[in-house]
Amino acid sequence: MAGNNNSRTMRINLKVWRQKDRNAGGSLVDYSLDTVSPDMSFLEMIDVLNEKLIGKNEEPIAFAHDCREGICGSCAMVIDGEPHGPQTGTTTCQLHMRTFSDGDTIVVEPFRAKAFPVLKDLVTDRSALDRIQAAGGYVTVATGNAPDGNAIPIGKNIADLAMDAAACIQCGACVAACRNGSAMLFVSAKVSQFALLPQGQAERERRVSRMVWQMDEEDFGSCTNMGSCAAACPKEIKVENIARMNREYGKAMLFGHEAKQAVED
Amino acid sequence: MSQGILRYLSSTIGRKYLMAISGLVWTLFVLTHMLGNLLIFAGSDLYNFYSYKLISNPLIYLAEAGLVLFIGLHATTGISLKLRNMRTKPSLYAVTPKSAKGASLSSKSMIWSGTITLVFLVLHLITFKYGTHYDTTVDGIQMRDIYKLVIECFAQPGYVAWYTFCLILVGLHLYHGVASSFQTLGISHPKFNSAIKGFGWAYSIVVAVGFLAVPFYVFFVKG
Amino acid sequence: MNLDSKIPSGPVSEKWTNHQFESKLVNPANRRKFNVIVVGSGLAGASASASLAELGYNVKTLCIHDSPRRAHSIAAQGGINAAKNYQNDGDSVYRLFYDTIKGGDFRAREANVYRLAQNSVKIIDHCVALGVPFAREYGGLLANRSFGGAQVSRTFYARGQTGQQLLLGAYSAMMRQVDNKKIELLNFREMLDLVLVDGKARGVICRNNMTGEIESHAADAVVLATGGYGNVFYLSTNAKWSNATAIWRAHKRGAAFGNPCFTQIHPTCIPVSGDYQSKLTLMSESLRNDGRVWVPKNGNDTRAPDQIPEEDRDYYLERVYPSFGNLAPRDIASRQAKFVCDEGRGVGSTKLSVYLDFAAAIKRDGRATIEGKYGNLFQMYEKITGDDPYKLPMRIFPAVHYTMGGLWVDYNLQSTIPGLHVLGEANFSDHGANRLGASALMQGLADGYFVIPTTLANYLGSTKLEKVDTNHDAFKSARAGVETGISRVMNIKGGKTADELHRKLGKLMWDNCGMERSEQSLKKLLEEIPKVRDEFWNDLRIPGDAANLNQELEKAGRVADFIELGELMARDALERRESCGGHFRSEYQTPDNEAQRDDENFCHVAVWEHQGEGKAAKRHVEPLTFENVKLATRSYK
Repeated sequence: MAGNNNSRTMRINLKVWRQKDRNAGGSLVDYSLDTVSPDMSFLEMIDVLNEKLIGKNEEPIAFAHDCREGICGSCAMVIDGEPHGPQTGTTTCQLHMRTFSDGDTIVVEPFRAKAFPVLKDLVTDRSALDRIQAAGGYVTVATGNAPDGNAIPIGKNIADLAMDAAACIQCGACVAACRNGSAMLFVSAKVSQFALLPQGQAERERRVSRMVWQMDEEDFGSCTNMGSCAAACPKEIKVENIARMNREYGKAMLFGHEAKQAVED
Repeated sequence: MSQGILRYLSSTIGRKYLMAISGLVWTLFVLTHMLGNLLIFAGSDLYNFYSYKLISNPLIYLAEAGLVLFIGLHATTGISLKLRNMRTKPSLYAVTPKSAKGASLSSKSMIWSGTITLVFLVLHLITFKYGTHYDTTVDGIQMRDIYKLVIECFAQPGYVAWYTFCLILVGLHLYHGVASSFQTLGISHPKFNSAIKGFGWAYSIVVAVGFLAVPFYVFFVKG
Repeated sequence: MNLDSKIPSGPVSEKWTNHQFESKLVNPANRRKFNVIVVGSGLAGASASASLAELGYNVKTLCIHDSPRRAHSIAAQGGINAAKNYQNDGDSVYRLFYDTIKGGDFRAREANVYRLAQNSVKIIDHCVALGVPFAREYGGLLANRSFGGAQVSRTFYARGQTGQQLLLGAYSAMMRQVDNKKIELLNFREMLDLVLVDGKARGVICRNNMTGEIESHAADAVVLATGGYGNVFYLSTNAKWSNATAIWRAHKRGAAFGNPCFTQIHPTCIPVSGDYQSKLTLMSESLRNDGRVWVPKNGNDTRAPDQIPEEDRDYYLERVYPSFGNLAPRDIASRQAKFVCDEGRGVGSTKLSVYLDFAAAIKRDGRATIEGKYGNLFQMYEKITGDDPYKLPMRIFPAVHYTMGGLWVDYNLQSTIPGLHVLGEANFSDHGANRLGASALMQGLADGYFVIPTTLANYLGSTKLEKVDTNHDAFKSARAGVETGISRVMNIKGGKTADELHRKLGKLMWDNCGMERSEQSLKKLLEEIPKVRDEFWNDLRIPGDAANLNQELEKAGRVADFIELGELMARDALERRESCGGHFRSEYQTPDNEAQRDDENFCHVAVWEHQGEGKAAKRHVEPLTFENVKLATRSYK
């Protein structure tokens, strides 16, 4: 049981990417901790390291984090070459040190992609994803216009599929894992959610077109169907969503009544 | 509207459509080419006659132009996307993941398997299409003895080794390419995805093995 | 201090409709002349930003994260209440109103709560229209589940990620307005001061946490939607960045604080595992639909839970509250857990947890059904603890979760500073002394989508506002104050980290002003907090500089405010000589350990007015009158 591991501690060696600011170069710096509990989360381990660094009057490692329960999508580290570390379906904050062994050396780097500039240490700017969302990731409905919630029945399987896609936490691990820095998994999750639901039908062509073009404009790479994105996704979003987006985009291209409007928008 | 289509096709997804469609055209071509090659087992006359019928059909020029166009499109689009992707992912990580989260060898090596395949293709045309012209007569018709040239080439161990190497790369390229084209063109369903993957796998093996059957037959059985 | 609650006249069911008609409007062409600052991008902030921008106002939204979608509303799991009565089980607007008033232990304003219940219905409709993938029945209609404190099934949900889906809905509506250029989204911004001109809120000073730059923003009105202050306790279910700085600094500028001591302790959280613990994780209350809470009858029972036979288990909630059982309200379920642990019957190595057991439900409904309902919660539990809840019961313990207190607002959600509106958890208004499960999401969205569009127009349409820009002296002096404050903390150059002091404050708060408070503990707390404050101002260490991303500086500012707020909470708890809802004073309890209210002396909102730096805040009172619900002792037995 979890509570019984308290007595056991591990020694962990770390190589952490340190970078002063957006414009500075960076490098991996060695640290080590002797009293890591297996029940600590990975972020709690970094907290302990940071307290130690502050004690030595050094700057602590800057990293993004907030909810620490795997849902806000803030935490973003590449641990031993993998976004969010070795455990599948897990964010960094939910990754626990019991996954590692005593004496391990762990390399910690920021998410890397041209679209995610490093701001400091492990903190990157992922606001490009917001701009993609703004380009079309919504249903146009002003407050106060809605019909009754049960006016449009939605089959359970469709609602479930939409929910699977909507579970995306916008952490950017897909981009970080992709060898091309592609955001296709993220964008396709958003496109899929609305493409599946009846509420999203009216704008589906405009939505997929504008989101894809914004994605290109933000300098995300192209998809080469390697699947690293889905393998790294802490919410296990599936690559089927990418196929769905490809389908949506193709339909918009060939049959879209709104293509012209989308081009002009 | 046409301007709209161009806008769509110039996006990363649009360019992937071009990759998938041109790739599929060549995928079908290599299969028919491979089946034609297997006629070698039916003897020299039939083999040469098949070749003669093929090149004497005026439509061949149209087909050749199409193939050149599609491979040109495939290569230039592929290279443009690769250059873009090198820019959008300026660096990878200090550590390569140990676990299974990484991508397959086939998917990672598309640019290299593709480039070598292209070089092979050019050399292949020089060797065979524009190679030594032997004459023969089948059923009273004078035609090129391509059979003789094939036997000659595949009698050389160095050439067989190079050919084998390239065909393995073609297989590798097809393995990722075929299944991936379906995904790019939006053809995907949880029920069929493993079948699609299996199809890509089978297709690439059949093509590679079919092509390799000829040099191995020539080198080990005939030679 | 003027504490006019501005409750409209008329029967409770008509107040809001009448008020909407009587409120001033701003003509559509004139709305673009008004600028509004919304601070915060959670459910309340995002929905307010979206709906105000849709109406045509120019909105600036300040968001502390890189993306508005990271606000902590995202973490709400279980659901959102709405009086739809889709289940035909006797629900109505009136019943939701009644349950909320009763659940809040009669310490909330009737008129506000009634309006909340009315709007709940529209929220579901709007969220469905926005594409929120709520859970559905096979026939395609919306599904419901039950939550604590209610005997009807009125909670709508999207797996265990309801808050996420509702926030993404509001976020998408908001991003549409960003694309329309009606909202200017300012990310990485932390509000550090409120700017008043002629006594009215006219802007904010904020820090761009990525660059260290201090910025001034002027507007015609300011909306605060910055959430609650549960992180006073250091360990809580709040996110690490959740903080009280915006509301606290507004309080110091004159916004009165309502019921600061009302904090909610959530009964189902994953217990603490060690000193390094940085936060606590909630397991949704919805788990209590199928999970049974128990401890061994004998405190010395060291058998593994599955080895303990039924007759040696004490399902104490079912025993004490037969009609509500495991779905007793949060404050009651938490307190009972504390009682059994105090009796030495707690489980786990720390003896500070109780079992939440799904064995019976799995046996009854099958593993697949339970997995369908709670799969992601079970997975989360396993990730954190390493235990498999399909095989062993979960271990849970109460933790600080929500703060019912907050800035005092009138019926228009306006604080005591004209032009400063406060929405969502940041205000004190709707939950009294205890919030029912699945009501926080409801309140955040009701405030943002449906209340503020009316009441802000009323303010803007009825107030004369001179033109003000950031060159105004008020902005210059507020900005100078913020800069001085930053250099002051940067220059302490002591030896302790902000977290270290925060943990110290948190422990003091939890031990003395947590699930149970007493005159003695609170007096002790009031002696201890000033020591922490002195330690902070004399021995804090912040490495690095202020002109760059500096997370220690960010934390330090928040901790300084938590220390001051903690003191106010202690004073409020001390002055409220009764027990009600989440405020349990050990001196005031019934013989069977239930909260004993004192309606004669404390049927009011305690409203605290800041008196200046170093001076004790002044306590005012807003009396509460109950015309529709009879004041009665809560009973869930």
